[in-house]
Amino acid sequence: MNPNRLPVRPGEVIDRETSLAFTWNGRPHTGHRGDTIASALAADGVDVFARSMKYKRRRGIMTADHWDPNLFVQVGDEPNVRAGSRRLVAGMEVSAQNVWPNLRFDIGAANQLVGRFLSSGFYYKTFMRPKWLWHHLYQKVLRKFAPGGRIHWETSTHGAYDKRYAHPDVLVAGGGPAGMGAAIAAAEAGASVMLVEHEPDLGGHLRWGDADDLAVLADLAAAVESHPGIEVLVDSTVTGRYDHNWIAVMQRSHEIAPERLIKARAGSLVVAPGLIERPYVFAGNDTPGVMLSGAVRRLINLWAVRPGTRAVVLSANPEGDAAIADLEAAGVEIVAALDARAGEDIVEVEGRGRVGNVVLGDGRTVSADLVVIGTGWTAPTSLLNMAGDRPVYDPTAARYFPNQLPDDVLATGGITGNGTTAELVEHGRATGTLAANRALRNRHDRRSSTARARSPEGPIPESLHDTRASLARTPHPECYRSSSHGMVDFSEDVSSKDLVQASREGFDSIELMKRYTTVTMGPSQGKLETVNAAAVLAETRSMDMVDIGTTVWRPPFAPISLGALAGRIFEPIRRSALQDWHEDHGASPLLAGQWVRPDHYGDPVAEARNVRENVGIIDVTPLGKLDLRGPDVTKLLELVYVNRWQKLDVGRVRYGTMVAEDGVVSDDGVTGRLGEDHYLMTTTSSGAGAIWEMLEDYLQTYRPDWNVHVTAVTGGLTSINVAGPRCRELLLRLVEGVDLSPDAFPYFHVRRGTVAGVPDCIIWRIGFTGELSYEVHVPSGHALHVWESLLANGEDLGIMPFGVESQRILRLEKGHYIVGQDTDGLTKAPSAGLGGLVKLDKPDTLGLPELRAAYARTDLPILVAIQTDDPEVVPMEADQIVDGDSNRILGRITSSRMSPTLGRSVCLGQVDPSLAAAGSKVTILLIDGRRILGTVQEHHAHVDPEGVRQNA
Amino acid sequence: MPTSIPRGYVRMPDIEFQSPISHGPISTPDGSVSIEDETSTTKVVVRAAAGTAAAADLGVPYGQSRLRADGTLVCGTRPDEWTLFAAAGRAAEVIAPVDTDGFVNAIDITHGRAMMRVSGPKATALLAKVCNIDLADDMTPDGAVFSGSVAKVTCDLLRADRAGEASYLISCERSFGSYLFAALADASTEFGASLPAGLSIH
Repeated sequence: MNPNRLPVRPGEVIDRETSLAFTWNGRPHTGHRGDTIASALAADGVDVFARSMKYKRRRGIMTADHWDPNLFVQVGDEPNVRAGSRRLVAGMEVSAQNVWPNLRFDIGAANQLVGRFLSSGFYYKTFMRPKWLWHHLYQKVLRKFAPGGRIHWETSTHGAYDKRYAHPDVLVAGGGPAGMGAAIAAAEAGASVMLVEHEPDLGGHLRWGDADDLAVLADLAAAVESHPGIEVLVDSTVTGRYDHNWIAVMQRSHEIAPERLIKARAGSLVVAPGLIERPYVFAGNDTPGVMLSGAVRRLINLWAVRPGTRAVVLSANPEGDAAIADLEAAGVEIVAALDARAGEDIVEVEGRGRVGNVVLGDGRTVSADLVVIGTGWTAPTSLLNMAGDRPVYDPTAARYFPNQLPDDVLATGGITGNGTTAELVEHGRATGTLAANRALRNRHDRRSSTARARSPEGPIPESLHDTRASLARTPHPECYRSSSHGMVDFSEDVSSKDLVQASREGFDSIELMKRYTTVTMGPSQGKLETVNAAAVLAETRSMDMVDIGTTVWRPPFAPISLGALAGRIFEPIRRSALQDWHEDHGASPLLAGQWVRPDHYGDPVAEARNVRENVGIIDVTPLGKLDLRGPDVTKLLELVYVNRWQKLDVGRVRYGTMVAEDGVVSDDGVTGRLGEDHYLMTTTSSGAGAIWEMLEDYLQTYRPDWNVHVTAVTGGLTSINVAGPRCRELLLRLVEGVDLSPDAFPYFHVRRGTVAGVPDCIIWRIGFTGELSYEVHVPSGHALHVWESLLANGEDLGIMPFGVESQRILRLEKGHYIVGQDTDGLTKAPSAGLGGLVKLDKPDTLGLPELRAAYARTDLPILVAIQTDDPEVVPMEADQIVDGDSNRILGRITSSRMSPTLGRSVCLGQVDPSLAAAGSKVTILLIDGRRILGTVQEHHAHVDPEGVRQNA
Repeated sequence: MPTSIPRGYVRMPDIEFQSPISHGPISTPDGSVSIEDETSTTKVVVRAAAGTAAAADLGVPYGQSRLRADGTLVCGTRPDEWTLFAAAGRAAEVIAPVDTDGFVNAIDITHGRAMMRVSGPKATALLAKVCNIDLADDMTPDGAVFSGSVAKVTCDLLRADRAGEASYLISCERSFGSYLFAALADASTEFGASLPAGLSIH
């Protein structure tokens, strides 16, 4: 039923036994397994696949491979699918994208009528003013013209994207004859090899070649696939080469994910991408039915599709000549076979939905439905550019060649020269051997210098000299543009006329011209158009191609889905040993950094009240905990904390604050002395990692002579704060080995004992709530037992768990500040209200010079407690404190809550020193614009400033 | 010192060790890969300055490991730092013989580290999805000890093959354990594992 399907071809890749049904713009079609979307549609007689970006011109097959700029389609919810390489799957819903309202009739085609007003720089010139129209009109209309398909946010059926790492000795980019030869030789030399081919099959141009080519391909492919040292990735693209051969590979159509990013670190990179056939510039060169010679050969030989019925062929090389033979074999009438080497030419193609007439260089006009172009090649040197190479143009061969490469990047195959299949394979093999030698020498070095690796068995392999015979540079005419103007960049709708105009307007260097006209900036990324653009510029400026240069190819080699770059999303979540319990008991989760914590269990105010009246327990495991051991711990504490640490007896606890080198408060916490040379330091939850790193940094680099071992024990000790007037009564029921009486175990002391039968617990008399409280640190594997024992034994005492929100209320009532909330990135120690805690006469402390300077100043803001005069109004955190009715800022509210204990609003705030004295009146500007008055309090603590409750 | 007397609390006769990982082993139907929780393993970190008797006794170079005759696996985790693994509940026995002469500390970190084991013919491929270390047999042979990021969590790893099959012990800060197990389980789906409800990182 496929009108253009040919009888069986020797190298065809379709399985004629299968029939895959799919739809194109809603209409049913069928193809075979092995078809691409484009080949199946072409077999069914479809000519027009897309509308061009700017002028909405009809577009058909041009290259019939991955690079075809006219074959971007929407498949189901996936936009921008390359129909030239994507294999057909039964049930696909394929549609044209970038059309409005549809492919047959596109309103935007009117742009063709006014094309002379839409020339280079049109957007820059037109949509600048008036500015307000941008938002109301330009943006909305331009969006309709924007290329690219539709993303279906809500209904996307994509699974997660994927990522993996690889460490091949040799990574070969390109699976043609040279690439396969390189992979085999490298593997035979003992290297591990990753061979990456961007089409769905290995073979490169051999795939659509003659019987000899197919025989060589079969042998090479069998050798590649049977070698255990070669991993083959087809339908995958090497998208970037970065420092030290960090190579990005995008693997498509893997069953685990729509795309997978492979981050490979290769010993050697072999670049073997072959050559990309170059279009020819003439009037109407983007008409459906104008195809490159490779496209017709692929259509005929791989998919048995007749590309047309009457063909005009313009050939400048043997591959173009081979297309004539293939067309004849497919029963296509050759209307004219033009030899570009002899100066024959095509001037214009006429026809809208398909080629109709062709005007030849000799003035004749012939009727045809197919124009085949074989006028030259572009060397895709992209990966070489990324390795620092600046390829050089050779006018005799009419293309660019590699110039200077680093030792760990090698090029082979068509990109380096021409040759027979045997010569290409041989060059590939020699390159593979060399690449393996360099990679294995590198591997030998790495094995010798990596602690975990097995030491190399023998001496380092001897370095091989590069004795490869270069491939020839076969002369080729420089065919870039006919006497007429036509399309240069098919993705961006940039014509040679646009480039001439840009050059005349002064954008006459290749890099400026690129940015002004957007030539090479579309999805093709220069594969098809970059050399033609340079040639047009050279012609316009009457310069040599060599002097024009090229634009710089940067990663990615081919466009990549953003989802693939994001890869699989890894967002580590930390959970305390009690988090399951919290969730089972109705806790609202609070994400605090990486930790998930219980914010509250339903009623934070009731939880806070219960702590003041009875007893509550809170899971404070995220509190950073560092076990410090060694004879020099005191020295370390003296260095990192602003206060003194020399006279801390065993069993005692001290509060400390840290500042960074700039004197800004960085962390705080309590540290207890558990033994003669043994301390336990606590840090803020968010600061734990950074403080550990900082301590190790000092011990390993600045003070390597100090004997201190730091062990992070944050998650190993589950921390439960037991707070409230009845907490001692509760703990008396559960604690063994520790005298809990106030005299034996006063505030700011620490003990070790057994809690609910669990030995090795650490019990602190500290707390953030201002109540009598003990903090129990339990080995985490037994934490749930202790937590549940506390609840069971506290039932008659009115015990309730409380969450982070209740703790925030309670600590604010007590006036305890939080580093990072009540301080910020500019808050120096005096501004945190640390007062006498800071000892400026210590011989050394981190940030000491800055602290001395800060304490000499009188203009720094000061942290104070504030109560609003209207007790019902709770300002928002970050509300500004201003100067009366003016908007001069004199401070801000840093914390605020309604206090259940006092039944009034309470705050902490940073204020100008002129407002810091107790009793000062401050004006708080609320977010609704109202101004209210507040009064600065004498103490930070709103509740129990004398500490009677916590010292009970 | 007088001590308070506990009374009336619900004493549980055997207080069971609780792992942060609440899921049983994950494995593929063809046995190509399995992930098991081994958090209850005794883990002791010994830090001993060069030249101390403890360092000499442990003897295992940084980056390598050795199974001692008493069944303790000694890993050279970092320079001057070893991690000792033993059967559950043996911390005291592992710590006791460490010679503490000189600047030496032995600390039980059993409760502070989650640990899981990834084994099977596809274990290396699984790990290569979440860890950027070169896991080739010569770079990371059986017995290799190393640190790295696994699914964005800082981990200590040990290659400890079982019956000739690749096997890795991965340990991380305990609070990451539940997430890391889920991340490894997610990686195992490529090899055919189906995951129980509630074990997803997406």
